[in-house]
Amino acid sequence: MKEKVIEVEGLVKRYGKVTAIAGISFEVCRGEIFSLVGPNGAGKTTTVEILECLRLPTAGMARVLGYDVIADAQEIKKRIGVLPQDFSTFELLTVKENIELARDLHGSKGPVENLLRELGLWEVRNRKFGELSSGMKQRVGVAMALVSEPEILFLDEPTTGLDPQARRELWEVIKKLKSKGVTVFLTTHYMEEVEALADVVGIIVGGRLFAIGEVRELISKYGGEVRVRVEGKRARTILRKFTKNVIEENGAVVGMFSSREKAARALANLYRSSSGLRIEVMEPGMEDVFLRVVGGRVNERGELVR
Amino acid sequence: MRGALAVFKACMKNWIRSRAGVFFSFLFPLLLLLVFGTVFGERGEVKYTLYVQNLDLENGQPSLLSRTFLQVLESVRALRIENLAPTVDVETYVREHPSFTSYRILIIPENFHRKAESKAIYVRTCVISDTVRYLLQTYGSHMKENEREAAENGLALMEKWKENMTIENSEILLLTEEGDTAAPVVGGILASVVNTFNNRLIGAESVAEVQSGRLIHRGLKAADYYLPGYIAAFVMTNGVIGVTSITSDFGRRGVIKMLATTPLKKSSWIVGVVLQQTALALSLALVMVGTGWIIFGVRALPDIWAVLLIVLGAVTFCSLGMAMGGSIRNPDAAAAAGNAVAFPMMFLSGAFWPVEMMPEFMQTVAKVMPLYYFHDGLRRIMILKNPSQAIPSFLVMTVLATVFLTLAIKVTKWREL
Repeated sequence: MKEKVIEVEGLVKRYGKVTAIAGISFEVCRGEIFSLVGPNGAGKTTTVEILECLRLPTAGMARVLGYDVIADAQEIKKRIGVLPQDFSTFELLTVKENIELARDLHGSKGPVENLLRELGLWEVRNRKFGELSSGMKQRVGVAMALVSEPEILFLDEPTTGLDPQARRELWEVIKKLKSKGVTVFLTTHYMEEVEALADVVGIIVGGRLFAIGEVRELISKYGGEVRVRVEGKRARTILRKFTKNVIEENGAVVGMFSSREKAARALANLYRSSSGLRIEVMEPGMEDVFLRVVGGRVNERGELVR
Repeated sequence: MRGALAVFKACMKNWIRSRAGVFFSFLFPLLLLLVFGTVFGERGEVKYTLYVQNLDLENGQPSLLSRTFLQVLESVRALRIENLAPTVDVETYVREHPSFTSYRILIIPENFHRKAESKAIYVRTCVISDTVRYLLQTYGSHMKENEREAAENGLALMEKWKENMTIENSEILLLTEEGDTAAPVVGGILASVVNTFNNRLIGAESVAEVQSGRLIHRGLKAADYYLPGYIAAFVMTNGVIGVTSITSDFGRRGVIKMLATTPLKKSSWIVGVVLQQTALALSLALVMVGTGWIIFGVRALPDIWAVLLIVLGAVTFCSLGMAMGGSIRNPDAAAAAGNAVAFPMMFLSGAFWPVEMMPEFMQTVAKVMPLYYFHDGLRRIMILKNPSQAIPSFLVMTVLATVFLTLAIKVTKWREL
C-alpha cells in the first residue's frame, strides 16, 4: 500500500463572504505527481498555499507528511520545497548565491554545483537573477525548492507565462524529479501539462473538486471516443466495417471508436487496404475530460470558457 | 540566528550591487556633508552685500566725513560694500538690475559732513556748558570771585552761541526690500557703526566693549556641530525611506512569499534586515566621520556611547521602515509614505540647524520627533563628550526601538500574503 504524504479532508477557505475552497478532500501518495487542474480563480493556489503553510484554512483538515498545516507549520516547511506562483527572489544576487541562500534558509549544507548542472543552470550560475529569461528564472525557483532535498515539491503554476520551448524544458526537469522518486504537487491550467506529467489529477472549479483519479483512468472514463479522420476514396466503406458511428466533416469522413484498441484495428485495416489516404487520429485527452466533467474548457489565459 | 545571518548576507549583497541603493544611502549623504560642511563651515564666512550711494560731495569729491564713514563700513567683516555712483537713480537701478538676493541700499545724503560737523560742535558745546554749570553749582562757593565770574561769563557766551547755531541731524537712509530676512541684521550692524561714529565725532571714549570668546575651548568647528546631525538624519532616511521601499517591493514581487515558504521565521527576517541596516548605519557613520576629519578637521569623534546610540537609531528607524513597508503593498505608495515621514522629520527636528533658530511652536513640534532625540543625544556625546546628558535620548530611543520593532513584527505578514 502506498504511503500517503498529503491528506486533505473537507478543506474550506473563505475570504469574508467569498468561498475560495468549498470542502475538498483528496490524498497524495509518495512518489507520484499529483496535479490540481482548473481555471484561474478555481482555488488551486489557495489549496496549495494552505498545504505550504502560507494560508490558514477556515475549516477542515490538511496534513502534510503527517504534520498538521496549522500546528506544525515549521516541521512541514523543513521537509518541503516550494516554487510559488509568480516566483521571484533577490534580483541582484547571482543564480548560485540565490540557491545557496535557499540552502542556508533550510539549514542544509553542502555544495550546490550538482544541482546547478542537473537543472541546466551551470552556464548561468554567475549571472544575476534579474538578468535571466522567464524560463531560467523558473528553473532557479525549482533549484531553490530542491536544494534542501525535500520530500514533497510544490509547484504552483510553474509554466504559466513561459514560451512553449521553456515550458517543455521545465517538463523534462519535473520528469527527472519523478524518476528520482520525488513527490510533486503541481497546479496548472494547461491540460497538456497534466497529460505530460501527472499520475493523478484533481479537477477543481469554483473551489469544488469535480473529479479526481489517475489521468489515464479519467480519460478513458470521461474522454469519449477516439476519432479517426480519413480523406480519400473508400474511406467511408472501410470505416463502416469497424464502427457504425461515422460522420462527414468538411469533405472528410470521421469514424468514432469507443476504445483505442478498436481504433487501432480500423487503422491497420485502412493502411492495408488502400494507399493514398490521408489519415488523422484524434485521441481523447484531459481537454475532453474537462469538457465532459465541467462543461467548459480552459483557454490559454486560464479563463473558463463555457 | 542562522536564518537571520543568511538574510543579512543576502540583503547586504543585494544592497552593494544596487547602484541606486548605494548612491542614496551612502554617496548622497556624503555629498550633502561636503556641500553643507562647505556652505555652513568656517570657510564660507557670511557676508551681507550693502550698496552705498554717497551724495555728500565737495568739489565733486566725497566729503571727508562721508569718506571716513565709508571706510568704517568697509572694515566691517560681515559687510560687502558696493558703491553706487551719485548720479544713479536708485529705483531705476534696482529695476534694471534684477537680482535673486535682496537689495540693501544705504544713502549718505548731501551735506552729511556739514550737518554732522555742526551737530558735533553743538553736542561738544552742550557737554562743556553742562560741565561748567555743574562745576559752578557744586564748587562755585569755593572759587575765587574773579574765577567764578570768568566761568559765568564763559557759560553765558556758550549759551548765546548755542542759541545762534543751526542744528540739523545728519540722517543716513537705509532702503531694504520687503521679506529680506537679513535686513534686521544689516540694520543692527549699521546702528552699531553709526553709534561708534557718533561717539568718535564728539570725542567720547568707549566705556564698555564686547570681547568675543568660545564657550568650549576644544577648537571645535561648524562641521563638528553638523556632523552628528547629518549622521542621525541619514541613518533615519535609510531606514524610513530605504527600508520602506525595499520591504514593500519585496512584498509585491513575491520575495517575501518565497522566504515564507522556507523554515525562515518572520522574526529572523526582520532581525536580518535590521542587522544589515545597522551595519550600513555604522559604515555610513564611519565614512562620514572619516570624511569630516580629513576634509573639515572635525574633532567631535564618536565613542562607544555614540556607536550604541547609532545602533539604537538604526534599529528604531529600520523597524519603522519595515512596519510601513509591511503594511503598504504598493512600492510607489510606500516610497511616498516614507518620504512624507522622513523629510519633515529631517528638516523640522533640528538635525540640520539648531532648533533655537525656529519659531517657538516649531520647537515644540521638533521635540516630539524621534529624530530630535537621536541627533540631540549624538551631539551631546560627540560634541560635549558627556554621555550622561544623552540619557533621555537613550531612554526615548530604546522605547521607540521596542515599539517599532514590535509593530514591524505585528504588521509583517508571514501568512495570508
